[in-house]
Amino acid sequence: MLTSGVKKVIHQGRMAFLQGGGVSRMLFIGMFLLFMVTHGVPVQGAEGDPSALVNCDIQHTSCTQELSDTQVILDISPKPVKAMSDLKFRIILTGKQPVAPPYIDLGMPGMKMGPNRVPLKSVGNGVHEGTGIIVRCPSGKKVWKAMVTVPNMGTAEFIFDVIY
Amino acid sequence: MSSIETLYITFFTTGFFVGFGHCIGMCGPIVVSFSLNLRAKGVMAPNLLYHAGRITTYAVLGGIMGASGAFTRITAGIGGLQKGVMIFAGLMIILMGLGMSGWVPLGRIFGNYYNSEGVIYRGFRKLSGIESTASYLPLGMLLGLLPCGPVYTALVAAARAGMEIQNSFKAVLVGMGLMAVFGIGTVPALLMVARLTGMGWLRSRGMIYKIGSVLMIAVGIYFVVKGIRF
Repeated sequence: MLTSGVKKVIHQGRMAFLQGGGVSRMLFIGMFLLFMVTHGVPVQGAEGDPSALVNCDIQHTSCTQELSDTQVILDISPKPVKAMSDLKFRIILTGKQPVAPPYIDLGMPGMKMGPNRVPLKSVGNGVHEGTGIIVRCPSGKKVWKAMVTVPNMGTAEFIFDVIY
Repeated sequence: MSSIETLYITFFTTGFFVGFGHCIGMCGPIVVSFSLNLRAKGVMAPNLLYHAGRITTYAVLGGIMGASGAFTRITAGIGGLQKGVMIFAGLMIILMGLGMSGWVPLGRIFGNYYNSEGVIYRGFRKLSGIESTASYLPLGMLLGLLPCGPVYTALVAAARAGMEIQNSFKAVLVGMGLMAVFGIGTVPALLMVARLTGMGWLRSRGMIYKIGSVLMIAVGIYFVVKGIRF
């Protein structure tokens, strides 16, 4: 929701753009770009070095995180985990079990890649499996994250390197 | 509202937000390069044709994904082509930057006003045999093949949607439709970039133009390097 102050700034900028000279126009464009950067455009690498965020060595082993009273274990196969290939995602929940199957949202830290959800099906004993694809980003960045949402419990975030 | 209708809305909004959040950074340099090569008042038509071409390619890819559901096999099949397109795009941006700078007598390519003596211009006209503005449509179709993370993600979703539809023809149509609305969603952000770049007052400043040329050449080199390493 735009506040009246923001509306006033936009109006003044618009008037300056229409009536003013080059400096006013440049200021307006500068303000507009600043607004886009701060409100809509996540700049590549805005969260710093994404490799510093890695909390999971998925290339060699499964990864574990705590969520409420439940352990969430993520494993992806086959290994090495490569982008642009069919991957099997396995979530093992120990302890309290959810009311509905968990699901995984794949994305990149600091870069919008569009929604990429991996639905999971229960195969018994707290194990849930599904297939999905980690796509390749031409920027060359290889750090991906899997947000594992367990209904009524919350979301665990696994950040790991992928091979391109 | 049916699940398919919900998917269309999801794909459109995804395209819209990815447009501002991703395309401006990754594909914006291409649009900026085109727009700087166009007359200030003639930016929109070529850009719309370019986007129409890009959306056409997305729709074709979406149709194939919807029918086959085989994302990895198809993307592996077109991987070499995508690499080539990325290198081509980089070379094109470098040539446009060089032509625009005036430092080398290349003339302009893909513009709607040309130095008719330009080597590139004459070569391109001979090669394509089509009017300059119209050339943006096939160019958009070709560059629609550029490797792009959000496009891949949308194609994965289109393939998944197609797999859930029993009727093959309907799966093709749904895949095409989903990717088309995704592409349409990305247009506003890139048109905004084109419009800003195409402003006459900005273009009339020689220094900005020179800096733009250097940036274009740098971006072109980036595309070529990324294409080689892709």
